[in-house]
Amino acid sequence: MPQISSKTSKPVLRALFSALWLAFLALPILVFRVNSISGIIEYQWSRLPKLLAAGFLASLLWNYFQKRHLLKQESPKAGSSSAGPPITWADRFLARTDRYRWLSLLGFGLMVLPFFCSPYAVKILTTALIYITLGLGLNIVVGVSGLLHLGYAAFFAVGAYVYGLLNYYFGWGFWVCLPLGTLSAALAGLLLGLPVIRLTGDYLAIVTLGFGEIVRLLLTNSSLTMGPRGIGNIPPPGFFGLDLNEKFRPFLVEHLALNPYMDLNKIWIYLIILLIVVLTTIAALRLENSRLGRAWLALREDETACQSVGISPSQAKLTALTLGSSFAGLAGVVFAAQITFIAPSSFSFMDSIYILTIVVLGGMGSISGVIAGAAVISCLPEFLREAEEYRFLIFGALMVLMMVYRPQGLIRSVRSVCSRS
Amino acid sequence: MKPLLAVNGVKTFYGNIEALKGISLTAGSGEIIALLGANGAGKTTALKTIVGLTPPGEGQIIYAGGDITGKRPEDLIRKGLVLVPEGRHIFPALTVSENLMMGAFHRADKNEIASDLEYVFKLFPKLKERLNQSGGTLSGGEQQMLAISRGLMGRPKLLLLDEPSLGLAPIIIGQIFETIREINVSQKTTMILVEQNAKLALTVAGRAYIMTAGRVAMSGAAEELQNDENIRRAYLGG
Ligand SMILES: Nc1ncnc2c1ncn2[C@@H]1O[C@H](COP(=O)(O)OP(=O)(O)O)[C@@H](O)[C@H]1O
Ligand SMILES: [Mg+2]
Repeated sequence: MPQISSKTSKPVLRALFSALWLAFLALPILVFRVNSISGIIEYQWSRLPKLLAAGFLASLLWNYFQKRHLLKQESPKAGSSSAGPPITWADRFLARTDRYRWLSLLGFGLMVLPFFCSPYAVKILTTALIYITLGLGLNIVVGVSGLLHLGYAAFFAVGAYVYGLLNYYFGWGFWVCLPLGTLSAALAGLLLGLPVIRLTGDYLAIVTLGFGEIVRLLLTNSSLTMGPRGIGNIPPPGFFGLDLNEKFRPFLVEHLALNPYMDLNKIWIYLIILLIVVLTTIAALRLENSRLGRAWLALREDETACQSVGISPSQAKLTALTLGSSFAGLAGVVFAAQITFIAPSSFSFMDSIYILTIVVLGGMGSISGVIAGAAVISCLPEFLREAEEYRFLIFGALMVLMMVYRPQGLIRSVRSVCSRS
Repeated sequence: MKPLLAVNGVKTFYGNIEALKGISLTAGSGEIIALLGANGAGKTTALKTIVGLTPPGEGQIIYAGGDITGKRPEDLIRKGLVLVPEGRHIFPALTVSENLMMGAFHRADKNEIASDLEYVFKLFPKLKERLNQSGGTLSGGEQQMLAISRGLMGRPKLLLLDEPSLGLAPIIIGQIFETIREINVSQKTTMILVEQNAKLALTVAGRAYIMTAGRVAMSGAAEELQNDENIRRAYLGG
């Protein structure tokens, strides 16, 4: 009897713990509500039980699916000696389409979501997606390759300023600047990589920090970039030369009864960054399982070991920094289009730390973890705006708690890198 | 017959420090040669120089009939020059099977990789039991076995082993040296074995070079060196 009860209570206890943890993490987002008009914080404690219940249920379900997944994986091994039903390619295809069905449903949901949201919510969602792109890029450098990088915001700035400047001086549009910004950031990454090839650990951290500050100071002190005043009036991305709000809003408002104050330009940016997130996630997943990904993983582990299996640590470092930075450039161009005004203060050391927090919080090297981490981190500042002085205190506390209780991050990284044996 | 490897008057520098002051040695195909000497004599540097990790400042290295002086380690490993580094240096967070696959990083021949894996498991059955355990949780002896196996996964023609007995219990050392001999016999792999434990190394090696302070002080057949009273006292610790 006691055996049975302990068997059932274990996942329940775990679910309870996860629910509490989730409630704690989401507290600032869902329970503290900043009323930006009257400038006070409202507390919506009534949401807490709902949150707990949802977390509890989600955790139970997650556990259930994971167990089923494990059972599925084990069954062919167990059945190989006896006559178990063999797994055919058809089974595999069905399992895949099952996953694809859920993912495409999620994708569709995310695509229509902004049409039913307030402009404020669209802004937060866009920011979250930008942070996911940044997190995925920095994850290549810090999470996968193990290079502590404290100046990542500089590459974000490169992307944003490439668009800002090229538009200001030459009137170039978003779609030209998107690849240019990405390329420039990648080049900047390579440039930083060359002198730090031989550095590791703390030294690398200090140099990257310095690099980030140099870029920020250059932007602040150069008249070319309009110094600390920054660049304004950055246009939204074009849509075949049409004015989105003029052409399509009346139709949407009239026939679908949507919000008449919605800004279709912002929704267009949201859709672009959503597509970018999908593509960068696929790219990150593919890289993880590629030769390059294995070289990065080896680099994180041990440089001497790298060399003795024929991996050049300096090449691995350069490629990680270059590719990782290109993600930031991509995000930077979209960011400039979204907020329409950029200044050096948007790319400070603290912003680098924010992005690093995403990677650490999400679980170093775990792509799904980075996405979860970015969602949490990008929403926090929005809701903690009134508690400005306490923001970093809360951040710090969160980090310490994370390190102590969940050092593997929100979602543990699962490697399938080279276990093909 | 020409030797597989010929090192001719090689000098290697760390900045201004001259770690190798002009060494010459050869290794014939299928031979095990031992590289002996006290701590700091330059044995590790010699191996690193051969595989391209510390390119020589002077001198020449000939391998399989070609000049490989100054070539990069990534290219040399493709030619079958594999180093099992001092202190093992396995990938601690990767599993045993991932470690082994890393050893085959530069290879694409899937079937042959699979057959090499089988061979490695035959040599070290313990590794097969620990396949999904992370490398860092293995015992010292198992880690050394893993390091050697990872080296074998690179299909070496010339395997360079840097102090494989370091810090291991005598029983384990015996097993590892037995396996080294077996690899040499069954695969005809040429080996250069660096050891502080001269007595042990001379039991498996055919010839040996004794280094002191960046130079080769003495060389000869293993039995000769073993039986020479003066050499034993001067270089091999009794
Ligand atoms: N990375 C390095 N930088 C500077 N000097 C080194 C380095 N590695 C080894 N040395 C020096 O080179 C000499 C030979 O070292 P090493 O080849 O490691 O000897 P052994 O392997 O025989 O103990 C020693 O004097 C050592 O101090
Ligand atoms: Mg040594």
